[in-house]
Amino acid sequence: MFKELDPILHSQLRLAVMSLLIGVKEAEFTFIREKTNSTAGNLSVQIQKLKDAGYVDVTKQFKDNYPLTTCKITQKGINAFEDYVKTLQQYLQVKK
Amino acid sequence: MAEEKKLTEQESLQLITEMIGKVKSSFHESGTSAILWGSVIGFCGLFSFLQIQFNFSTGGFDIWLLTFIALVPQIIISIRESRQKRILTYEETAMNAIWIVFGISIFALVFYNNAVPKIVENYYAKEGIELFQKNIATGETTAFHPFILSVSSVFLILYAVPTLATGLARRFTPMIIGGIICYVLFFISCFTTYKYDMLFQAIAGIINWLIPGLILRRQFLKGKSVNV
Repeated sequence: MFKELDPILHSQLRLAVMSLLIGVKEAEFTFIREKTNSTAGNLSVQIQKLKDAGYVDVTKQFKDNYPLTTCKITQKGINAFEDYVKTLQQYLQVKK
Repeated sequence: MAEEKKLTEQESLQLITEMIGKVKSSFHESGTSAILWGSVIGFCGLFSFLQIQFNFSTGGFDIWLLTFIALVPQIIISIRESRQKRILTYEETAMNAIWIVFGISIFALVFYNNAVPKIVENYYAKEGIELFQKNIATGETTAFHPFILSVSSVFLILYAVPTLATGLARRFTPMIIGGIICYVLFFISCFTTYKYDMLFQAIAGIINWLIPGLILRRQFLKGKSVNV
């Protein structure tokens, strides 16, 4: 019996965001938007869902008089991502 | 990118790999700081070597003071680069810590080199002791002022530490080679005079930082043109 894939992560944009954040300490919102080729509105909604799940921390501040949003993966997010990858590997091994 | 598109397991794995690759390709060290310090140390070392070799004067100006002046552009570079950076990696945080500790250690060593001989002399003076040195050939006796022996060898060890650590952590061969050569120069410098120690400082500056810095710069500009 396989574990179900985490529905929070099993969505294209949210998984892309988590995959970007897993390799860095923190990343600016504009960087994530650029790398995921998403719109600001869409990305905001998905990051909010990740934040509500406790997978990311979002910091809002000002830099040179411009608003700056920074995202950071949490320990809960790291654990969830690792679990997701492990489950994914199990699925793929069976399909081989 | 559509937010709720259902992914197959294969697609998920591909997406994860692609995003991790995107982070890797978007991070390039500019090499500016390495070029700056490689040039300054290289120039000061070479200048000191030539000064002893050809015995010319700088009117009392210590050329190594340029390293303090170079702190100004370094601060400007650091502020500018931190403003431009949109991601911060764990590796970068660790590397920054190593180089900051290196900077503090260099400053501490400069202080040690300048302060300790005076402190030792004052300590002896308080005890009523004065040190003398005697020239065996002429029999002449003159006052002896304590100094730190072969201190530039210790500088070479310090140069090697962050360079080799960065090279190994980032798998950046030019800095690994630079760090190893620096250790070799350290061993040789234990047997050479001050004049050649200065030449080794110059070589260390060029091999440790200037050359790797130029390589990093080339990679950075190439990466920038690819991302444009």
